[in-house]
Amino acid sequence: MSSGVPPLSGPPKPQAKGLNCPKCGAAIVLRSFGQAQTVVCASCHCILDAKDPNLAILQQFEAITRDVKPLIPLGTRGKLRGTDYEVIGFQRRHCKIEGITYYWHEYILFNPYKGIRYLSEYNGHWNDISICKTLPNVDRAFLDSPGASAGYLGESYKHFQTADANTDFVLGEFPWQVRVGEHAVVTDFVHPPRILSSEKMANEVTWSIGEYMYGPEIWECFKLPGTPPEPMGVFADQPSPVTTNVTGMWVTFAAFAVLLLALMAAFDTRAKKEPVLQQTYQYNRADAKSEASFVSDEFALGGGTSTVQVKTYAPVDNHWIYLNYALINLDTGQAWDFGRELSYYHGYDSDGSWSEGKQTDSVVIPSVPAGHYYLRVEPETDPSLPRIAYTVDVIRDVPVFGIYGIAFVALFLPALVISWRAYTFERSRWSESDHPPMQLSSSSGDDD
Amino acid sequence: MFRKFYLLYGLLTLSTAAFGQYRGWSLDAVNQLKNVPKSVRDNPGSYRSVYSGYHHYTGGK
Repeated sequence: MSSGVPPLSGPPKPQAKGLNCPKCGAAIVLRSFGQAQTVVCASCHCILDAKDPNLAILQQFEAITRDVKPLIPLGTRGKLRGTDYEVIGFQRRHCKIEGITYYWHEYILFNPYKGIRYLSEYNGHWNDISICKTLPNVDRAFLDSPGASAGYLGESYKHFQTADANTDFVLGEFPWQVRVGEHAVVTDFVHPPRILSSEKMANEVTWSIGEYMYGPEIWECFKLPGTPPEPMGVFADQPSPVTTNVTGMWVTFAAFAVLLLALMAAFDTRAKKEPVLQQTYQYNRADAKSEASFVSDEFALGGGTSTVQVKTYAPVDNHWIYLNYALINLDTGQAWDFGRELSYYHGYDSDGSWSEGKQTDSVVIPSVPAGHYYLRVEPETDPSLPRIAYTVDVIRDVPVFGIYGIAFVALFLPALVISWRAYTFERSRWSESDHPPMQLSSSSGDDD
Repeated sequence: MFRKFYLLYGLLTLSTAAFGQYRGWSLDAVNQLKNVPKSVRDNPGSYRSVYSGYHHYTGGK
């Protein structure tokens, strides 16, 4: 019945025509319908005119390396931010900065209703990129200055880098007349997690906006096998792991420090600092040979549980005195036992005069309940010291400032650690920019 | 999130400092003993200090 001969009357039936590379004959697949301007033969890497029914050859290039393989194969479909996309094109680009070549990959995604968007990948860092809907606001006169910025949709983007980007490998379909060796001046502005980029080619400037994505998100979107490459370093628009507002945290710290000072003042005012014993004792080695220890007069500690400070003064001069103390509660037999050494040495040598030690000492006994007490004292001295007078003061309810010191450090450390983490991350980010932190500091130094 | 944590942590730190001050905490190391005999008052030599036998610094540069 069907002989394959077209009927003689009526309109001709549309016929499907296979697309083949005019150079190598390999089958060409067009995924983006009429959107593609150029298509690249996957077999011989000829760049073909997708608008030409005969797929005219626009450029032939020798793939420098066959190792350039897209991490997301062409034709892969996935749901990106709720919309289905198909990967239709891939290109590798590079820029050369201070003799080092940096490569990155770009994927062209297509949805018949939403159009084209892009994914870029550099060292495991991904960006979801789309063309800007409105023209960003940028003052090109200050583009190379560290403070240069661009405004887009109410957000301010800081200038990060301007570089010459060159395309060195292409594959699949492109919505523009792509060529290997294509050159563009790319200027990036960042406002993490977004990056605003302008690409200047001949007489055309294209602005695009990208948002940072993590590799696992991409793998999840496209249901890719295996795991994404681990990101290396910090990317321009990578969000900082420190999500805390560092300035806000320092404000909170300052508020805490003020509260701590207020607390210190309040407790210092409230503290009784009540002297309960003041006695001067004489140590005489000749007398102490039998029994050196003795007890003080009895004294009362009133009020509630509080600190008790024992202060000692001994005019030691190139000598030491050691005092075994025990504060003993007459009623309960509870005792607080502690030893204190006072030593003071001084002299003169080739480095000049020197001294070490002190003639005074203070110890604070914690949480001593009210009651009747006495102090047992057992002195020991330097064998070369025959006699010495020393004074013992016992004061009840004294503030312990060390507690505030510890509290201050405890408040300060988390703020410091967070700030340091934020600082080192930002430093890594900007070290890859046209305005590295070292340059900023040295330029400000020059200004001085 | 961290700021909330820091706020709570800071308040806890201040409360602890205030409580410690109120309860008479100290940073000095003091040994506590119980049931010291009343006879020590009359015979101080019968008490054996925890810190006796301490090695003394006989220093100088």
